[in-house]
Parts: sequence; C-alpha cells; structure tokens
Amino acid sequence: MKSKLVLYAFAAIGILFGGSAFAQSYAVTNARIVTVSGATIERGTIVIRDGLIYAVGANTAVPADVQVFDVGGATVYPGFIDSLSNLGLAARPTPAPGQGGPGGGQAAAAAAAAAAGQPSNSNYPSGLRPEYATLEDIRAGEAQFEATRNAGFTTALSTGRTGIFTGQSALINLAGDNVSVMTIKSPVAMHVAFVTIPGQYPGSLLGTFSALRQMFNDAKRHGELLKMYAQDPKGMRRPADDKSLEALVPVVNGQMPVILVANRENEIERALNLAKEYNLKAIIAGGQESGKFVDRLKTQNVPVLLSMNFPKRTAAAAPDADPETLDTLRFRAEVPKVASKLAAAGIKFAFQNGGATNVNDFVAAAVKSTENGLSKDAAVRAMTLSPAEIFGISDRMGSIETGKIANLTVIKGDLFGTQKTVTHVFVDGKLFEPKPPEVPAGRGPGGRGPGGPAAGANPAALPNVGGTYSINIAAPGQALAGTLSLTQQGGQLTGTMTTELGSGPIRDGRVTQNGFSFAGTVMFGGQSIDFTVQATVTGNTFSGTVDSPQGAIPITGTKNP
Amino acid sequence: MKTMRRILISFSLTSLLSLAVFAQSDGSQQNKTGRAGTFAIVGARVVTVSGAVIENGTVVIQNGKITAVGAGASVPSGAERIDGKGLSVYPGMIDSSTSMGLSEIGQGANATVDIAEIAGNNSNAKAITAVNPHSSHINVTRVNGITTVMSAPIGGLITGQGTVINLNGSTQADMAVESTVALVINFPRVAGGGGFGGGFGGFGGGPQVDFNELVRRRDTAVEELKKTFAAALNHAKAVEAYAKDKSLPMVPTNLAYEAMIPYVRGEKPIVFTAERERDIKAVAKFVADMKIKGIVVGGQEAWKATDELKRNNIPVIFTNIYSLPVRDDDPYDSLFDVPSKLQAAGVKFAISTGDVGAEARDLPYHAGLAGSHGLSPEEALKSVTLYPAQILGVSDRLGSIEVGKMANVVVSDGDILDPRTNIKHVFINGRLIPLTSRHTELFDSFKDRK
Amino acid sequence: MRRVLTLFTFLLLTVAAFVPVSAQARGEVLIKNATVLTAARGTLEGTDILIRGGKIVRIGKGLTAGSGAVTFDATGKFVTPGIIDAHSHTMLSAINEGSLAVTSMTDVKEMLDPTDITIYRALAGGVTSALLLHGSANPIGGQSATVKFKWGRPAADYLIPDAPLGIKFALGENVKRSSQTQTQPGQTFRYPRTRMGTMEVIRDAFRRARDYKQEWDDFRAKKTKVPPRVDEELQPLVEILEGKRIVHCHGYRSDEHLNILRMAEEFGFRVGTLQHGLEAYKIAPEIAKHGAGVSIFTDSWSYKLEAYDNTPYNAYILWKNGVTVSINSDSDERMRRLNLDAAKTMKFGGVPEEDALKMITLNPAKQLGIDKRTGSIEQGKDGDIVIWNMHPFSPYSHPEITMIEGEVFFDRSRDKLNRAVLAKEREELEKLDVNKAPGSGGTPPARPAERRIKERDEADRGEIGGDN
Repeated sequence: MKSKLVLYAFAAIGILFGGSAFAQSYAVTNARIVTVSGATIERGTIVIRDGLIYAVGANTAVPADVQVFDVGGATVYPGFIDSLSNLGLAARPTPAPGQGGPGGGQAAAAAAAAAAGQPSNSNYPSGLRPEYATLEDIRAGEAQFEATRNAGFTTALSTGRTGIFTGQSALINLAGDNVSVMTIKSPVAMHVAFVTIPGQYPGSLLGTFSALRQMFNDAKRHGELLKMYAQDPKGMRRPADDKSLEALVPVVNGQMPVILVANRENEIERALNLAKEYNLKAIIAGGQESGKFVDRLKTQNVPVLLSMNFPKRTAAAAPDADPETLDTLRFRAEVPKVASKLAAAGIKFAFQNGGATNVNDFVAAAVKSTENGLSKDAAVRAMTLSPAEIFGISDRMGSIETGKIANLTVIKGDLFGTQKTVTHVFVDGKLFEPKPPEVPAGRGPGGRGPGGPAAGANPAALPNVGGTYSINIAAPGQALAGTLSLTQQGGQLTGTMTTELGSGPIRDGRVTQNGFSFAGTVMFGGQSIDFTVQATVTGNTFSGTVDSPQGAIPITGTKNP
Repeated sequence: MKTMRRILISFSLTSLLSLAVFAQSDGSQQNKTGRAGTFAIVGARVVTVSGAVIENGTVVIQNGKITAVGAGASVPSGAERIDGKGLSVYPGMIDSSTSMGLSEIGQGANATVDIAEIAGNNSNAKAITAVNPHSSHINVTRVNGITTVMSAPIGGLITGQGTVINLNGSTQADMAVESTVALVINFPRVAGGGGFGGGFGGFGGGPQVDFNELVRRRDTAVEELKKTFAAALNHAKAVEAYAKDKSLPMVPTNLAYEAMIPYVRGEKPIVFTAERERDIKAVAKFVADMKIKGIVVGGQEAWKATDELKRNNIPVIFTNIYSLPVRDDDPYDSLFDVPSKLQAAGVKFAISTGDVGAEARDLPYHAGLAGSHGLSPEEALKSVTLYPAQILGVSDRLGSIEVGKMANVVVSDGDILDPRTNIKHVFINGRLIPLTSRHTELFDSFKDRK
Repeated sequence: MRRVLTLFTFLLLTVAAFVPVSAQARGEVLIKNATVLTAARGTLEGTDILIRGGKIVRIGKGLTAGSGAVTFDATGKFVTPGIIDAHSHTMLSAINEGSLAVTSMTDVKEMLDPTDITIYRALAGGVTSALLLHGSANPIGGQSATVKFKWGRPAADYLIPDAPLGIKFALGENVKRSSQTQTQPGQTFRYPRTRMGTMEVIRDAFRRARDYKQEWDDFRAKKTKVPPRVDEELQPLVEILEGKRIVHCHGYRSDEHLNILRMAEEFGFRVGTLQHGLEAYKIAPEIAKHGAGVSIFTDSWSYKLEAYDNTPYNAYILWKNGVTVSINSDSDERMRRLNLDAAKTMKFGGVPEEDALKMITLNPAKQLGIDKRTGSIEQGKDGDIVIWNMHPFSPYSHPEITMIEGEVFFDRSRDKLNRAVLAKEREELEKLDVNKAPGSGGTPPARPAERRIKERDEADRGEIGGDN
C-alpha cells in the first residue's frame, strides 16, 4: 500500500517535471523530414493526431485545431529504436551471498538467474524456461526511460538479463502511464544467451548446446503430440501440459524468431549452426564479428542486431604490464567496420545498445560506423525502419508515413556531426522536451543508470554526502574493500573510487534526495566494465547497489572521521 | 642399417635388464646402492665436458673418485675392466631444480608428500631431512644418466633450504653432496587475480586485479622480505654479542632467523623463483640491495633482463623448456630458445626440468630441445652437467670427467641427450649402480604374461 | 593512415600468408630428394613425393611436376607423415560437462575454437591431426571430434569429413571424484563415488539405450502410435551398440580397463581405444584379444595414485602383444614434442624405429579410423607431411615445414619473417584511437566462460579439478 503511494507520487513528479503535455494534436512545421521510407523532405510539415501521423509532406496544410510546433529547420527522424535492451525491467536481482564464485561475472550472472528462479511448475530449471514473457516484469515509470528517450529513442525491444532463455521480448514505447499502452508487440521473439547454469546441468557451454538441442527436439515432438491429440484423443495418453515446451513450439516451427546472443567468431559460428540445424528463424544479437560471416548470414537469411557498444581501451597502460594481445587490438579496430560490411553484403541489420551504460555511446557508435564505410542513410535506417522490419511491425512504425505511430525525434544540428541536440521527442504523439544537459563538459545528457532527480532539485534540500568512505563491495566469492572519496558541489559529485580492482574517477555523480549515485569503469577479467552505483545515506554510512552487466552487488560504506 | 643396429642394441639391453633383475630383485622397493670397486672404462669416447672429447680414452674410478682420464691412462691392476668400444663416457647429469624425494605421489596420496611447509618463513626447513632415499623416483631417474639433483621445498615465501644429493644411498647422509646448498625464496611477483593483462578471469580465479595494484602489492611484499632479512642479520649480531658477553640479555631462540644467517650475509646463495622480466629485474635489484648471492630459477623472460643478471652475477636455472610460450602472441619457440639467448648474452645458466621428481629423468631431452633451437649440442650438454655444478657451487666435485672429481660417471651407447640412447653403466660416487628401477621391475613382472 | 594499413595488409598476405593459396591446394607440390620415413613401407633415401589435389600421387626418384608446382628441396632433410595426437583437448572452448554422470548428449565438435594459438604451436611440432576429446569428469562423456589443424580456416574446415564418430568414456579417480572430499552447501555428491558405481552407470546407460532403440523400432514398425522422443543422450549410445561410434575410454588401472572391455563384449561392441592405459601392459593379451587399441603417454607416471604403476615399457609390451599402440599428449605443451616421446619407445624395451614412428602416425590414424586417408606416406593418402631438419627422433630435430593435404600450414622460415610483419601490424593498431589508453565508455560484452590454455594444461591429467 505504502509503495503504491510512493509510485503515484513519483508519477505525479514525472508529469510535473517532465513538462509533457496531454497527448494532443500538433503540426510540426518548418522541419527537415527524414522519412526513411521515402525521400527526405527538406522543408515540410507533419501533422500528428491521436498519437498517429495524420499527414506528412512539403505542402501539408496545417489544420486549424492543432497546436503549431515550429522546429525552426531542425531535422525530424522516425523515433529511434533500440533493438535490444532491458528497459523497463527492475534492477537485476542481487545474487545470494556465496553464489557466483569461480567463473567471474558470467557465473555471477547465471547464479543470479538461479537465485531469481521463482517457484515454478516447469520441468526445467530456472534459466531454461522459455515460457517466461519479459512483459510480465516490465513496469511503467518515467525515471527509467527518460535518459534513453532524451537521446532520441522512442522505442526499445526489451528482454530479461539472465538465464539461457532470457525471456520472450516485448517491444515497448518509452513513455506511457502503464505497460498496456506502452506495449507495441509482445512477444516479439524468443531470446537465447549461450550461458550456463552453475552447479547443475548445463554447467558448461557444451551442455548449454545439448540442453537446447534436446529442448528443441522435445518441443517439436510436443507440437506433434498436441496436434495428434487434438485430432483424436482416444487411445492416446494426453500430452503433458508443459508450458516450457509449448513456448518453444512456435520457435521450432519457424514461426517465432529466436534472437541468439553471439558476438565473437566462435559464438556466431555456433549460433548459426544451431539455427541451421533446427531451421530456426534466427536473429544474431551482438554480432561484433558478424562481418566474417556475411555469406552464411545471407544464405541463412539471418539479420543482425548489431551492438553499438564498441570496444575501447579503457585502462591506462602500466609500464611493466604485458602488451595487449593482437587479437584484442584487431578486434577493436574491426568492430566499427562491421555495419558497413553487413550493409555491403545486403544483410538486414539494426542497431542496439549492447549493454552500454551510457546511451549516448549508442549514437556515437552509429556515427562511427558511418566513418567506417556505412552510409548515413543506412545508419538511420538501422535505428528506425530496419528494426521495425526485423520485428515485423514496419506497417506501424519505423518511418514517417501517414498512419504510422507518431514516434518522432527532433534533432537540431547534424546527427552525424559533433554539434547536435535532441530538442524534442514524440512518443505516441506525446511531446517530450529533454532538459538541457547539466552534466560535466563533453558528455551528453546523463547516462541511463545514474540519472536522478538532482537536476531540478533544490541543492539546499540535498544531503551533504561529501567525504571519504571506507567501502565494502559484496562481490560474489570475494568481498572487495576500498575507499570512496566524494566531493560535493551543489547537486554534483566528483571523486575517486579505489578497490583491489584499481582506482578510477567517478562519472555522472549526483546527489539525490536521500543519497547519491555515480558511474565508473573498472577492469575485470581483461575487460573494462562500466558500472553504476546508487546509494542511500544514513548518518555516516551508506548502503546501495553496484550495477553492471555482470550483475548487481551490494555496496556499503562508512564515512571516515 | 641404423634401424637394425638399434633393434639389436635394444634387444640386448632387454635381456641384460632381465638378467639384472633376476639377479638382484628382492621384491622390495629399496633403492639398490650398487657396489664399490676399482673400475676402468677402456676404449671409450670420453666426453669430459670440461675439456676436449677424448676418442678411444680410458677413465679410471677408484675409491669413489675419478683417478685417471686420458687416451693413454693406465689401468690399475685388479681394476674391473669395462669395454668401452662403441660407448661414450659422460659426467652424470645434474638436475638443478627438483623436489626429488619429497613427494612420491602428488595427488591422492597426501601422506607421501613432504614438499611444502605451511609457514611463511620456512628457512629452517631442510630438504635433506625429508628426502626419502627409497623413493622410486630416484632409481627411475638415475638409470637415465642423471646422478645428482638439487632437491628443494616449495612452500611459503621462504620455502626452506635445498640440498644437493647424489641419487644413491641408503641414508640421507649417504646421498648428501651439500646438505644445505641454498635458501629458496618464492620471490614476490606481480601476479594475482585472474592472471596477466590479456587473460580472462574465470576458472579458479577471483576478480582480476589492477596491474598497478599488483605492482604495489609486490613492492610491499619485497619490503617485508627486506625487513625479515634485516631481522635475521640483527638476530645474528645479537647472538654473537651475547656469546661474547653473557651480561647482555639472552637472545630468544629463532630457528628461522638462525637458518638464514649464512644466506643473508652472502656466504651461501639464495635461489629465487622468478619468471617474468619485471620479476627477474626485481630479484636483481633485491640481490644488489641486500648484497647477497642470488640464483634465479624459472627464468621464462630472463633473456630480457640479461644486463641486470650479469651486473649482479646472477645465474639462471631455466626450467621452462617444457612450457608453452607465455603469451598468445609470443613466437612458438619463444621458450625453447631462451638458453641460447642467455648463452649469447653471457649469462651463466643451467637447464633443469623443474619437475618434482618423477619426470626428472627427462632432463637430457630438455637440453636437447634447447639444442634444436639455437644452443650448440656442446652447450646443451654443459647446461645439464658442468653449468649446474658451477651454479650450485659443487663444480670442484661434480659436473665433468676430471681427475679428482667424484666418480659420477655415465656410460652410454650414444649421445646422452638423445632419447634413443641407452644407458649402459651408471657410477655414483664410484659405485656401480644396478640399472633397475621400479619401471624395470614392473616390466619384468609383466613382459611375458600370456 | 588507411593506405598504410592496406599496404600492410598486402604485406601480411604475401609475405606471411599462412592463408593457403588455393592454387597450391589444387595444384602440385613436389618434395625433392628427402629421406622419407613412410611409417608403412620403411625408409626411402633420396626420394621425391608428388602431391596433387591434396593427395600423394607418386613416391619415387626423379619425379617431375608441371609448371606452377610448389617444390621443396629436401636434400639432407627427413620427411615423415604428419603426427596424429589421439588424445587432445586443444582448441576447445569447453572440455567438461561434469554436472551429470552421463553426458553423451554433449559434443565437443560444437566447441571448436579455430583461433586457439595452440593449434599453430602443434603444427610447429609436426602435428597435423588430433582426436579432440571431452574431459573425464563422467563415466560417459561427450562426443569427440577428429580434426586436422587447418590453422587460419573456419572451424568447420577442421573436421575430417569421413572420420568415424567417437565418444569419450572415463573410469577411475576422475570419475568417482576422489579429489572431491566435501560438497558445497545444498549440494550432494554425484553418483558414482566408486569404481563399482561407475560400471553400473555405464551399464544402466546402455540398457536405457537398448530400450530407446526398441521404442523406435516399435514405432517404426507401427506397433506404437506416439513417436518416441529424439534423445540426444541415448542416440549416441545406440550408435555405439550399432558399431557406428568409437568408444575412447579413459582409465588407468588394468582392472577397470578390463571391466570396460568385458562390458563392451556383453553389449556386443568393441572398444576403440583405451586412453591413458597406464597399466595396459598388465593386460596386454586381453586387450589384444578384444581388439582394442591403446593410446598412452610414453612415460608419464606418479602424478596421482592410479598413475603409480606405469612403466615406460608399456608401449613395448603392448606392441609385442600385437596391440595397436599410439602415444598421445593430452597436453597443448606435450603435443609439440611427440616425436621425442615416440623415440623413447626405442630405448624402453626396444621398439623398432618404424614401429615407434607408427605410434604417432599410422597407429593413431587407425585408432581414429582415418588410416585410409592419412597416417603414413603412401600413394593415394592425403599429403599430410612434415619436413624435418634432421631425423625426427634426434633431440636436435625440429619441423621446417608442416603441410596438410599439400598446403603449408607451418613454415619455420616464413614464421621468422612473419614476426616483423606482426610487429608492424601491432605498431599500426596501437596508433588507432580505440587502442589508445585511456578512454571511457564502451564495455565489451562478456565472453562465454571459456577455459583458457593455462587451465587446460594444468587440468590435463586431472591434476586440477579432476578432469580430462
């Protein structure tokens, strides 16, 4: 009851501070319109009514009843689509202490999957339950979508984070009072990640493939048995009411697409082999080395949801440290070229955030792709019409056409240049005006994770969180001790976090009503990992969560006197 | 033709072995200690190692020593003559980094393992106390021409004191060449977490730790080690002062410090395990700072630190012929050719198996592989005979065929580094050793089973 | 910048190319004036070998090839068949599915990692083919892969297309998990914990496989209406029973190896190889009678209790009893010096030279069922060939050229040249922004938890984690 009240209060704040209006009718005028489906209209008007594009054209008349919205020559794109995300899902569950252990982040994530296992009637362990519909866990609420939307994204495909079957995904618009109005399509696809379930079968990648194969076999048979039974139940034992297998029947029948997470050469090879063996309607997600597979992707007609989280070197070189491997260096050089290779080979692809914590990296990487041979049109298409086509909803979105959903992104400046601002976003015809960026120089509007209410809040009302803290991070298997020093300036925080994983500056530090948040990067297992911290302060102590693609882990701290 | 010769030799060896086993096997696992006497190997190719090869030479063994070497050396009356026609005489090989006799079965039989004490400073732990003279690793090793090893413990920061032993004797005292030859220190290294730079965390490891943090930890550990050295020196000083003047406060017993004294004073060498360039350079600095005698064992990247090694007179016992290159991008032969690089740079080196004991008999093939990657066969042979003797400070007694040296002598039918070569006779400390081992006994028991 | 890179790429392709030239593959390769150790028909001095379309077409003196043939002057050099390692876990992203006692549903063919540098190192040691096995964590392990080390090619090219199917079985310490003395909270010990239980697990699996086959037979005969499931676990076991899949059974003690031979006889199939077989010499006549091959370490011993009764005379006794013996590495490191391991069998007992060489060439080829195409230098076989600087049993020998089906995959002189090219590439790559430190932002997605080389080697003989 209490939590519900808080939720309402939050929603109210969202309306007040979001500056959004009731969905009404607009005429977006004086706009350069990149329709994507057709020619770009250098100066034109888009009329929006009832959440849909009512009219579009160079000479479209402005109806008398609509609010005129002159964008002053800015460019209007179809709302950008993030073709793979976890948007709308709660922060990932914290693994129980003692779980995780060897195997590092991946094992920790899988342990989290096991821990997250709800009591279930399924014959399969948590992590192997394809019946899970992500939509069940998606929640409406402004804060979690704002940062992404401010970067020009109106829509995202969302799926779960853990398990081999991470969930049947939902395509959602990034605004709306409740999930039912946000949802565009659900389920969109079955999602598979080639991970393990520590402590049980499959406990290795070997087992992951054989477990999947057996489930696919069984699902095929289940489909046949259901059909047989429907035709003539007499003399036949009734097929088990197996929700897991039932969920896979459309997958093995090639009706439901299956999105396979695969980035590196070996992963893609294995994913394509599995897809071929079971004649799956497969889509590769990640695809960082998919440029090496253009022939097979073409032959098997497999689109790619290409990660826009390009690998970069993030750790400074230590004089005595081993040089990075050639493989690593080549990989980083190669990834930005992949989109153009796919485009040249005529492979359908869309862009997705790839687990980056800063949504602005997404667009930056898309731009980077155009510097590596991809046409600008193709880059825009990969964020608009292509994902709509891949997800089978191009009849209602992905381009600026009459009758389509009024998801629009208004950008002042050149999307592919350095000076650009997302000035307005329409979602289902509803206008959103991103707040001007208030983060330190050089960075765009706040990242997805640590964004918080600090922006408009009264600094006087904020707690004083500056100081040096002794911290403890309850990483699975091995607790990390360290220090966190924070310097507060109004609502902003700067500082340094030092643990056994190294020392580094914090980013995007904000003071919140009852604590603080920031982002950072650590080296872990040879990779740089971005994380965010959200903490609640009580007196001289704080407690909170470190959130990274590897999982969520508790953090506590005590201010040093 | 060559094939035929090999077959004949092999078959004759087989029958010889079975005879020997028949004559001597008493079914026990005791190492047979052979018999003493005066022996003359006549008409053999004598590979002295220290000097020129003597074709058609004679080697005389008397009272445990080599008493004559040369083309025209006279054979004492009553000497047992061994016809050396077609055979070669070599000094017994020396494996300079093992834990021979300290661990019989590494896994699943913990009671046979005495290789690592659990303290941090195990200076007073002496390998010679725990070497099992009846370990089956000993007879298996010596019948392949390895007559001497350095055996050392491996546990803790300071692992204890290594010993140079002959692979023959009923008691540890019988075996000892140098009871306590060197202190062994696992030098603090820059390592931790999930491995080095480009590696992946995961299997078995905790989170990977920032490199600079690892350097800091190493430096801290080295400072701690320096403090331990200083404490040992102070202890020595106090003990000596108290011995002269009993009115001073009595110095409480500290066996670990006591054991360290000759080593921290630079009187005896300290063996430091170190593999990577940064670690080896840190060892060199430590040796210079502490004014001690250092030996590096391991030495994967010793060729990158040759200046530091030479400047501080630090020899290298290289134990990584049977190791994969360190990094994915390293050339495939990047460890095979380390000995030749050390030789070219003028760093004193030896090649060792670095094995606990069971595989120490592969020593000649380690040297042979170095010989196939840049090292001359002569240098390869020295790296397992004279050079280890010099590094371990026993070259006055071992490492070459010279008059006055201990009669650790091996007679073979070919190049001793060649895996096809058969060992025909082994002398250790002048005793003719039976060419039987746990392996020949098992062979004998089952070779004719129908 | 781009021009530099392009030029550089060109250099890479021309100077260093281990990417085989297709013309070479289909064209002719002539090796001139070598001492050829055929591993089948003795040693041929001053002999030429002509390879065409990847196959050895002629062996003789004074052979000529057409223009465009690649010619190697092997005067003073020795030529052997490519070495075959009948027990390896190299280039596998995962080795053990240890969660269950029977994991016949898993298949290491899916785990091939063609980017694993150990492949190239094996080629540099003269190895051209290998049997890649699942680990030894369970009585019945996963399906195996028989590969040629076609470095630089995609994974699918490694698989030898007509190689018989295989599977790993395992007995003894690793299977009963003798190193595991306690369980994690909430876990229980996995059955089996004894050698008794191990055999019953296998028996049970074969009985279930029989039942499964019966179900399908009944269904196909229309005796039943509902189709049985396609069972990934039992299908491979049916293939064993039908003689279509070779069992490679890890074990140490002679009694347990005898057990599996007897059980195979009970179920009507022949065991392909006893792997490791450190005590195989104790039951050599029984093995010979059953017809199993044995694949051993030439002399490793004493690293665990069940390895204590080995003797390096093992190979000799088995050979004398007429058993097909191969010498394997089970190690990315040891794989590079199998020639010296084979040489040792001449010393320990006195295996003749050619038979010693067969233990790393023709015999493993037989055990893997690929001896029709490789394993010896004979007309009609694949051009899988190593050119050595001297006799491969000499300690000072090393491969100079390793070729598979006539294509050069390792060339010692080119390798040395290539080092400068790679150094140049590194230099150029390090100049790129993405490779400059520091930066911020991008997070590479987590790679699958692949066991890397080091761990694999340490676990080779089950020293860590009781595996392989």
